[in-house]
Amino acid sequence: MASSPALIPDDAEARFVHRLRQRDEQAFNELVLAFEERIFRLVWRMVGRRDEAEDMTQEVFVQVFKAIDQFRGDSKLGTWVYRIAVNLCKNRAKYHSRRHRDGHYDLEGSEARATHERAEGLTSGETSRPDHLVLGYQVEQIVQMCLRDMDPDFREVLVLRDVECLSYEEIGAITGLPEGTVKSRLHRARATLQAAVESSLGETIR
Amino acid sequence: MNAESTPSSSDERRLSNPDGALLRSVLDADIGQVPDVLDGVQRRIRQRSAGRFYADGWSTSRHAPTSVYLLTALFMLAICALTYAILRPFAGQPAETDLTPAPVEVLAPQLHRPEASPSAPSSTP
Repeated sequence: MASSPALIPDDAEARFVHRLRQRDEQAFNELVLAFEERIFRLVWRMVGRRDEAEDMTQEVFVQVFKAIDQFRGDSKLGTWVYRIAVNLCKNRAKYHSRRHRDGHYDLEGSEARATHERAEGLTSGETSRPDHLVLGYQVEQIVQMCLRDMDPDFREVLVLRDVECLSYEEIGAITGLPEGTVKSRLHRARATLQAAVESSLGETIR
Repeated sequence: MNAESTPSSSDERRLSNPDGALLRSVLDADIGQVPDVLDGVQRRIRQRSAGRFYADGWSTSRHAPTSVYLLTALFMLAICALTYAILRPFAGQPAETDLTPAPVEVLAPQLHRPEASPSAPSSTP
């Protein structure tokens, strides 16, 4: 799945931002409708809870509405919206870590399970044997658990790059990190995730 | 882990593949129905701006909408009056009913006389 934060053509974006700054409610409705699905997907993958993701997605757009005057146009509007979403997710993760909340990670739940049937590889979807099916499901659980426990800074680059398929440049614009730092952090994040998964599986996977 | 439960080689490749294929396969799931975000966003902005944006004229009002209540009551009274005015001609007149009570024949009460018993002694003079 290739998704890019840039959904609005360059020439139209300036006019659109101007309407947003004028607090044009219709323009803001268009913004929400254009980005709601992508932001919801991103937030859900970052926080892991559907109900919390829905709440935070709404909060992202409220923050956009409040802070649109601070948008200087240095980046794409979509990149700026992504940045707000990622920062909100990180702040929420820090809040939860301070409260020692044991968040219930339900990415594997409900609708997600249905589509895992289509998943390939080590996931449970393509396996026909019951033991492989169980093993695949366990691996999914483990990967999700390891991702949940990962440092939010690592998780954000992993999700943005490996799930949202954004470019390094876009990730840098969203996170405010230099491109080289994004690459190195992504490398470390993947290594950390793999080590965590291997540790949880109790064996080295080559 | 024995051979039966060992992931296949393609599975292993996917897990060790640094391009995040496994991560995508786990997380790149169809999330189903995306919730209706717009309504919630509008409601939050309306509440936090005290009705300045996305105002509906009543949900964020700080005073009781007395005029709304009054107008609603007057409107409902007008509806009732109009309905009565329309339906009244169809009501017609009530049918004449003879309320005179039917004559009642009063019969004299019959006195109960016990019959003479055959075993009773006759009172022959």
